[in-house]
Amino acid sequence: MRYGFIAALAAFTVVLAPAVRADDAPKDVKGLYLMSDYPAVTVRPGETSTLSLRLQNYDIAPERLALSVSGVPAGWTATLLGGGQPVAAAMPATNSSVALSLRLDVPKDAAMGTQTLTVAAAGSSTTLQLPIAVTLAKDLPAKLTVTPQLPQLRGTVKSSFEYQLSIKNDSGKKLTISLAAQAPQNFDATFTEQYGSQELNAVPVDAGQTKDVKLKVTPPNTAAAGDYKVTARISAEDASATTDLGLTITGQPKLDISSRDGLLSARAAAGKETTVPIVVTNTGTAPAEDIQLNGSAPSGWKVTFDPKSVDRIAPNDNKEVQALITPTDKAIAGDYMTTIRASARGESASSTFRVTVTTSTMWGIAGIGIIGVALLVMVGAVARFGRR
Amino acid sequence: MRREGSAFQGLGVVMLKELSDNLTSGRMVVMEWLVVLIAICVVYTGIQQIRELSAEDPFLLLRLFTRSAEGVPNLVYVLSYFVPLVSIGLGFDLVNSERNQRTLSRILAQPIYRDALLFGKFLAGLVTLSVMLLALWLMVIGLGILLLGIPPGAEEVARAVVMLGVTIVYAGVWLAVALLFSIVFRSAATAALVALGLWLFLTFLWPMLAPYLAIPFISDSISSSSDLLSQLGILQAFSRVSPGALYAEIVGVLLDPAVRSTQQPLLASLGLALVQPGSIPGAPLPLMQSLLIVWPQTVSMIAGVIVLFVIGYVVFQRQEVRA
Repeated sequence: MRYGFIAALAAFTVVLAPAVRADDAPKDVKGLYLMSDYPAVTVRPGETSTLSLRLQNYDIAPERLALSVSGVPAGWTATLLGGGQPVAAAMPATNSSVALSLRLDVPKDAAMGTQTLTVAAAGSSTTLQLPIAVTLAKDLPAKLTVTPQLPQLRGTVKSSFEYQLSIKNDSGKKLTISLAAQAPQNFDATFTEQYGSQELNAVPVDAGQTKDVKLKVTPPNTAAAGDYKVTARISAEDASATTDLGLTITGQPKLDISSRDGLLSARAAAGKETTVPIVVTNTGTAPAEDIQLNGSAPSGWKVTFDPKSVDRIAPNDNKEVQALITPTDKAIAGDYMTTIRASARGESASSTFRVTVTTSTMWGIAGIGIIGVALLVMVGAVARFGRR
Repeated sequence: MRREGSAFQGLGVVMLKELSDNLTSGRMVVMEWLVVLIAICVVYTGIQQIRELSAEDPFLLLRLFTRSAEGVPNLVYVLSYFVPLVSIGLGFDLVNSERNQRTLSRILAQPIYRDALLFGKFLAGLVTLSVMLLALWLMVIGLGILLLGIPPGAEEVARAVVMLGVTIVYAGVWLAVALLFSIVFRSAATAALVALGLWLFLTFLWPMLAPYLAIPFISDSISSSSDLLSQLGILQAFSRVSPGALYAEIVGVLLDPAVRSTQQPLLASLGLALVQPGSIPGAPLPLMQSLLIVWPQTVSMIAGVIVLFVIGYVVFQRQEVRA
C-alpha cells in the first residue's frame, strides 16, 4: 500500500517534469505548426474582429509557406495580416514563430450561426491547416460590479470620509465607466484616483479587470450628528451598479465668544475692576462640557471670570459669564488688546477685546483745587492789602 | 482803615478804557498784524505740504497747527515764541507809564480803587490778546476748510478750542510777568528789558542749562526702561520751569490724539518709542484723557498766572502813588 503510493508519486513527477520544460524547448516536438490560442470565437455582425494566429517552427529548417484562407462566406472579408500589413506567405526561422492575425469583416446582415474558415499554410513539403469556427452572436451584455472595502465610516463634521471602491468590468470589452454619487444635501462627494488627488468623472476599465477608486465625502460644517447614506453609482452603456455606503457623523461642540451686545470693546479705568459681560455660545452639534475660561492681557493686568468655568452648554445654547478686567494701576490711557479664551476638551474659541483704559480724574480734581487755592490767595491778598 | 464798598468798583470803566487804548495803539496794531501774518504764512505753507500727503488722516485739522513745509517752523512753534513777545510788549509799561505821566494819582482820585485799576489793566490786556489769538485761530480753521475742503469733526474742533484756551493762558503768564515788572520798575525801559531778558533766559538759556543742573539727580546707570523714563522725568521737571516748555508739552499732547505721554516726543528724539505691552499703538485717545495727561501742566500755568498777578498786586498795593 505504502509502496504503491510512492510509485504513483514518482510517476506523477515523471509526467510533470517534461511538461514544465516544454515551454522553452520541447525536445520531442518537431515540425511546423499553425496555431491559434482561440480557434473558435464569437463575433458580432457589422464589426471587424481580429484573431491572432501563430506559425511555429520547431527544430526544422526554415521553409517558405504560402498562406491562404478558405471557406469564407459570401460578403465576409478575411485578410491575413503580418506586421500590420496583408501578407501572402510566411517563413518562420528554426525554433521561432511568426505572429499573424486574421482580420474578419463581418457584414451587418450576416446570418446568425457558425461558419468554419480554414487558414492554410502550404510549403513545399508540408501543408498546414487550421479550421477556425466563427460563431455570430449578439453582443454579451456589459456587466459591472462595485464593491466597497469599508462601507461604513464614522467621523466628525471636520473629517472627510474616504471609501475605497473596487470597480469590476465583467463585460467582454473595455468600458469607460462613469462615476456618480448621491449624497445628502450640501455634502460634497468626489471620486479620485486611489493614490492621487485628481478628481474623476469616469474611469476606463479593461474587460474582466478591476480598478480601485476612492470616493471622498465631505460633510458640511453644519451637518447635524447622525447617520447618513451615500449611494455610489457607476454606469457604462446600458449597465450600471450601485452600492450603499453609510457614514455616521458624531457631533462636535463649537464655541464662540462675544459680548452681550456684540461689541468687542470695553472701557476700564486704570487700577479699577470692570465687568464685561461675555456670552459663550455653542454653535456645534454636540454639547460642550467643562468649559474653562481664561484671558490673556498685558502684564500687570488681572482677568478673572465669574463663574470661573461653565459645566455644560447644549448645542445652539449660550451662557453668560462676567469677565472681571482690572488694568494695572500704572496703565497709561489708551487702547489695549485683551484676549478671552474658552476651551472645552479639544475645542476652543477666543475673541480679542479692545479695552479702552481711562485714567482717574482724581488728579484733575486736585488740580482744580490748586487753582482754587491760588484764587483764595488772591482774594486774601485783596482783603488784606485793599486800601482806601 | 477798612474800605467801603466793592474793591472792584470801576473795574469795567478801567477795563474798557484800557481795551480801547490797546486796540487803537499803533504798537499793538503792528505787533498783532505781525503775528497774524507770520502765522498765516506758516499755515499756508503747511497746507501745501498737507495736501501733498495722504488725506486719510482723521485729525487733518489738527495737523494745521503742527505740520509745516520743510525749513519752516510750525504754527505751534511760532506761537510759543511770538505770544510772549506780544504779551511783554503789551504789559511792560502798564503801570509805570501812568506813574511817569503822573496820571496814576489822578485816576486814583476818581472813585476807583487800586485793585480795580490793576485788575482792569490785566483783564484788558488778556482780552486784547484773546481777541488776537481768536482771530488767528479762526483764520487758521477757515484757511484749512477753504484749502483742504474737509469739514472739521467735533473732536478736532474741541481739541483746537482747548488749545486756544491754553494759548491764552500762556499769553496770560507773560502778561502777568510784564505787569509785575512794570509795577516793580519805575522806568518802562528797564521793565521791558528785564522782562525780555527773563524771556530770553527761560526760552534759550534754560533748555541748555537744565540738563546740567539735573545731572546730580540722575543716576549713572540705565538698566531698565523704567530707569530711563524716571530720568527723563527728572530732566522734564527741570525744563518745566520755563512756561514755554509747559506750553509745548500741553499742546503736543492736545494736538496729537495718538500721544499718550509727554515723554513720547523726548523718546522719539532718542530714536525710541513708548510701547506699552498689549496696547494698540496709534489709537487715538479721547479728549478728556489727553487733557488728563497734561492737566498738571495746565494747572501749573493757570496757577502761575494767578500767583504772578497776586505778587504784582501785593507790591502795587504797598507802593506810594503820590510821589
